[in-house]
Amino acid sequence: MIPPQKMGPITLSGVSYTYEKGDRPVLRDVALTIAEGEIVLLTGPSGSGKTTLLTLVGALRAMQSGTCTVLGQQLMGATESQRVALRRRIGFIFQQHNLLGFLTARQNVAMALELEPGSTEQARLARAGEMLEAVGLADKTESLPGQLSGGQRQRVAVARALAARPGLVLADEPTAALDRQSGQDVVRLLTDLARQRGVPILLVTHDPRILDIADRIVAMEDGKVI
Amino acid sequence: MIAALAARLAWRQLFSNRARLVSAIAGVTFACVLVFMQLGFRAALFESASNLPRALQGELFLINPLTLVMFRPEPVAHVRASQVLADPDVALSVPIYLAQTKFRNPDTGRQRTIQLIGFDPEAGAVSFQGLNSLTDALKRIDTIAFDRRSRPEFGPIAARLEQSGPFEVEVGGRAMLIVGAVSLGTSFGADGNAVMTETNFRRIVKERQPSKTDLVAIRLKPGADAQAVKHRLTTILPPDVVVLTGAELIAWERSYWEKGTPIGFIFGFGSLMGLIVGMVIVYQILFSDIATHLKEYATLKAIGYSNHYLRLVVMAAALLLALFGFIPGFLGSTALYSVVAKATLLPLGMEAARALSVFGMIFAMCAIAGLLAMRKLGEANPADMF
Repeated sequence: MIPPQKMGPITLSGVSYTYEKGDRPVLRDVALTIAEGEIVLLTGPSGSGKTTLLTLVGALRAMQSGTCTVLGQQLMGATESQRVALRRRIGFIFQQHNLLGFLTARQNVAMALELEPGSTEQARLARAGEMLEAVGLADKTESLPGQLSGGQRQRVAVARALAARPGLVLADEPTAALDRQSGQDVVRLLTDLARQRGVPILLVTHDPRILDIADRIVAMEDGKVI
Repeated sequence: MIAALAARLAWRQLFSNRARLVSAIAGVTFACVLVFMQLGFRAALFESASNLPRALQGELFLINPLTLVMFRPEPVAHVRASQVLADPDVALSVPIYLAQTKFRNPDTGRQRTIQLIGFDPEAGAVSFQGLNSLTDALKRIDTIAFDRRSRPEFGPIAARLEQSGPFEVEVGGRAMLIVGAVSLGTSFGADGNAVMTETNFRRIVKERQPSKTDLVAIRLKPGADAQAVKHRLTTILPPDVVVLTGAELIAWERSYWEKGTPIGFIFGFGSLMGLIVGMVIVYQILFSDIATHLKEYATLKAIGYSNHYLRLVVMAAALLLALFGFIPGFLGSTALYSVVAKATLLPLGMEAARALSVFGMIFAMCAIAGLLAMRKLGEANPADMF
């Protein structure tokens, strides 16, 4: 197995952000460091800027000020194609599973692998199968998302996020759409797999039931880390 | 490679919603059939318009330069047919008389306009199928040969000929004996044709002056250079006639229908309408496909798929629809052509060149719809996914 990409820690400093339509900044002079393999939980009331922070770290949004280095890429002033390239090295898990409804679980996971140059279809499907096995869905590889339960779908999303051996996993309220038990299962699965591979996780959550999985909890309020 | 993967994703997406796929294909097929029919009619018109000039054998022809179209000819002085014989390469020249008159359907008694074609059938200037065996019969007074491919409104002439032999009909108010059938074909200018000798032509069309004919077919001696003879004849003949080669005569006739009537434009416009309707349908399908999968597309962008890749997916979907719609459209149009050809007796048929150009049009139609639908992709913003 190829080891995960060791690209140094995630470091942010002086990051501020104001939405075009907003009158006041949602992020104000934020500084944060995530060490390799560290699992960091980001909590705070809604509107505190934690999701905005996540989209900046995930290169989904262009930076406005400050510096942010993710997997060796400086995001301040990065071009669209640099950001697209960086996103391929990050695993994303969303509130909703956002699986493609017309693809099977295996095909959905394989979608994350199609971007790797030189990979063969056979290798991608095999790897997708391994990932689904790792999240406990070995018997559901050929099911469509519509045939799976909410927890199972989110586990497929975990498999997709980890399939391409990302250097960082970003998750936004991954338990929000799930009941207590399956929510906890999914997060434990995610953190276990990430720990095995030494992948850092930045996870935004409101959910007090999963606070114990973190190495560190960062609280935000009013656009600032407190 | 990336295009193949994008095409596969498009394929899977299209097939995931069968109802939508079927309606999209139906839309493309509809556009396809519409364009095929319009272009088919246009080609049939131009083709049938030149039925008569194509049946005339002759390396060169003389017509009045004022003649726009053969069913309404301006006269050519008969003496020109004799004058061209002065050229050493001209073997023979045959005056051809053209007029339209009324033909009474022997069953219903209704009259319709028929095209009369008069010439010396022994001269070998005209080669209608079936004419050779009728040469002697046509020499008799008040006889005609009827075009079996005339519209059925003239009556079941050919069937009756086969059953009971020659019978009399009223042509231009005169009783004429139909002695046989030839095969020529209708055109937009003539619903039917009757062939006869010069003498019998004059017996029907009495007001025609003997010094005037309508068209002169010129046969050259073997090995003669038609262009050179044409050049010589043009210099010696007065400007009341033009010398045309066979191909030029066909082009002359076609250009009346193409340029002198709105018919070409009408069919072109009809084709364009079909393409626009098809484009709107394909655009709607692609647009709603993107709109319903906006979150998934945004997710793909978030995990590192570029805008370019998603555009490829949309374009592949558009082109797959073009292909899926064209195949039934092509088959349906081929079948419709033969149905319509039977009903209208127009020379309507599928041609490889037309099939290719319609495929090109349908392809372009879907590609433009795809390009328009792509603008919706901009709304798939991965930053909104969290």
